[in-house]
Amino acid sequence: MIAEALLLSLKVTAVATVAIVVVGLALGLVMARTRFFGKSVVETLIMIPLVLPPTVVGYYLLVFLGSGGPLVEWFSLEVVFTWHAAAFASFVVGLPLMVQAGKAAIAGVDPTLENAARTLGSSEPGVFFRVTLPLARRGVLAGSVLGGARALGEFGATLMVAGSIPGRTQTMPLLIYDAVQRRDYDTANLLVLVMTGLAFFSLWAVRRLGDS
Amino acid sequence: MTPRLRLDIEKRYDSFELHVELEVGSEILVLFGPSGAGKTTTLQAISGLLSPDAGEIEFDGEVFFRRSRPGERVDLPARRRGVGYVFQGYALFPHLTALENVAFPLRRHKGRGKPEAAGLLESMRLQHLVHRFPREMSGGQQQRVALARALAARPGILLLDEPFSAVDRPMRERLQRDLRRLQADLGLVVLCVTHNLEDAFGVGHRLAVVQDGRVQQIGRVDEVLRRPRDLHAAEVVGVSNVFHALVVEASADGLLLDWDGLLLEAPPQHAEVGERVPVYIRPEDVKVLYPDRRVGEALRTNRVTGTVVDHHATGTVASLRVDLANGHEIEVRFPEYTYAPLAIRTGGSLDLCLRRESIVLLTGPDAVVPPAVV
Repeated sequence: MIAEALLLSLKVTAVATVAIVVVGLALGLVMARTRFFGKSVVETLIMIPLVLPPTVVGYYLLVFLGSGGPLVEWFSLEVVFTWHAAAFASFVVGLPLMVQAGKAAIAGVDPTLENAARTLGSSEPGVFFRVTLPLARRGVLAGSVLGGARALGEFGATLMVAGSIPGRTQTMPLLIYDAVQRRDYDTANLLVLVMTGLAFFSLWAVRRLGDS
Repeated sequence: MTPRLRLDIEKRYDSFELHVELEVGSEILVLFGPSGAGKTTTLQAISGLLSPDAGEIEFDGEVFFRRSRPGERVDLPARRRGVGYVFQGYALFPHLTALENVAFPLRRHKGRGKPEAAGLLESMRLQHLVHRFPREMSGGQQQRVALARALAARPGILLLDEPFSAVDRPMRERLQRDLRRLQADLGLVVLCVTHNLEDAFGVGHRLAVVQDGRVQQIGRVDEVLRRPRDLHAAEVVGVSNVFHALVVEASADGLLLDWDGLLLEAPPQHAEVGERVPVYIRPEDVKVLYPDRRVGEALRTNRVTGTVVDHHATGTVASLRVDLANGHEIEVRFPEYTYAPLAIRTGGSLDLCLRRESIVLLTGPDAVVPPAVV
């Protein structure tokens, strides 16, 4: 049971983190380098999962992913109570951290360097991957680690959209809750230590990235 | 000089309007003027980093930009213009070594980029720092790496924005020599922005005085400095000896001017007798005379005695302010130590000659227009 939860958590977190990095970087780039009408509203909406109660985020996700929602109606995708829903919930709560860090890191890159690359024949993707991203790499890495760690620890919204089905959607945080309910303190203690260790390592890594 | 780059562009900002017309051949044209005059904006428009509101930019028959009437619009992206740009502060990529910086535009030439970049660095005597990062190089070294990088893509046009501002004097002179040689060897169209008169002299074939978003005057560097077209241009080139005098005589042989009691001869120029005109003489063209020596024919006229009120030396150039008998002050400039035997000191008396040939009237566009060709 513990091994299953651990593997599931890793799978959910891996998928969510890849999505967080890709979408978060794109949004960070847009937020750092463009100005458009309603930008502050869009930014606030991206950030709002950070402060909303997990049940509220979970409820929105149920509306979006559940029966009657666009995913089911338009694409016939039934993801509720599968690990896909867990990954999606993790993505939504981890994304704001990546956008924030990515935006700050990209905004810190001198636009003159990007212009220099343009005059040297670089296309816009070339400018991003050869100049902007390498120079913003510390902030981008820090954002990915923080976003990934947040995804790994996701509990409330996941419980609402994916449930806590052992072997199918029961990730580590959910198993801890379940174990405590069953007074299985051996399992709870072990998993709490693992989670604490992972969280500590993530934050330590982010600090190291910031220092060097 | 055959024009190769032609531009006529307009760009409006809240408090500033740029309207620049230029024709540049295979030469070094210096854009000279105060900050905020529109020099950098002009370079950005040529390179494609900024789109003008209207106008046209054309190079060797290829249209870089055109926007005249609604609907018609050409705006070639920067990467397709083949314009080398040496940015102010150089904009070297801090995460890449000198070699990787220079090889940056050569990536498409598979396998040949690095060797070609190494060859370019070697030709600029930079082979010893190929593996250094920009932060490990001096200002002059960074400048040459930036130049090598801009040339790596074999551009037809080279733009330089304040290229000499961060390097010391000996390095500066060397860079200016290098740049003139490169321009001649490669037949480049070069535009160089500076607000330093010495740099303009050191590197430019022609000089365009830019102020308030417009080209006020364009011509050979020495012509523009010797004969600013009007007060505007004179102010921009940073002259101090502008005064007003009354035209007493005007003939084909020359002018006689009355500067509040001091009579000066000047070469023939367009002026009406009885008119008060702005007059200008470069501080370098006021000659200091040895009282006990015979003077040549050219220095016989326009002689005047004054009192030194200020003596300022920079290490290479001495600058004096001399109080003349007519109550005005004049600035005199010469290479330091030139007049060492005279022991010039503040409060002392000094014999001067305001060279006749150097006395210029600043009477606007239809006065002395210098030839516009190199």
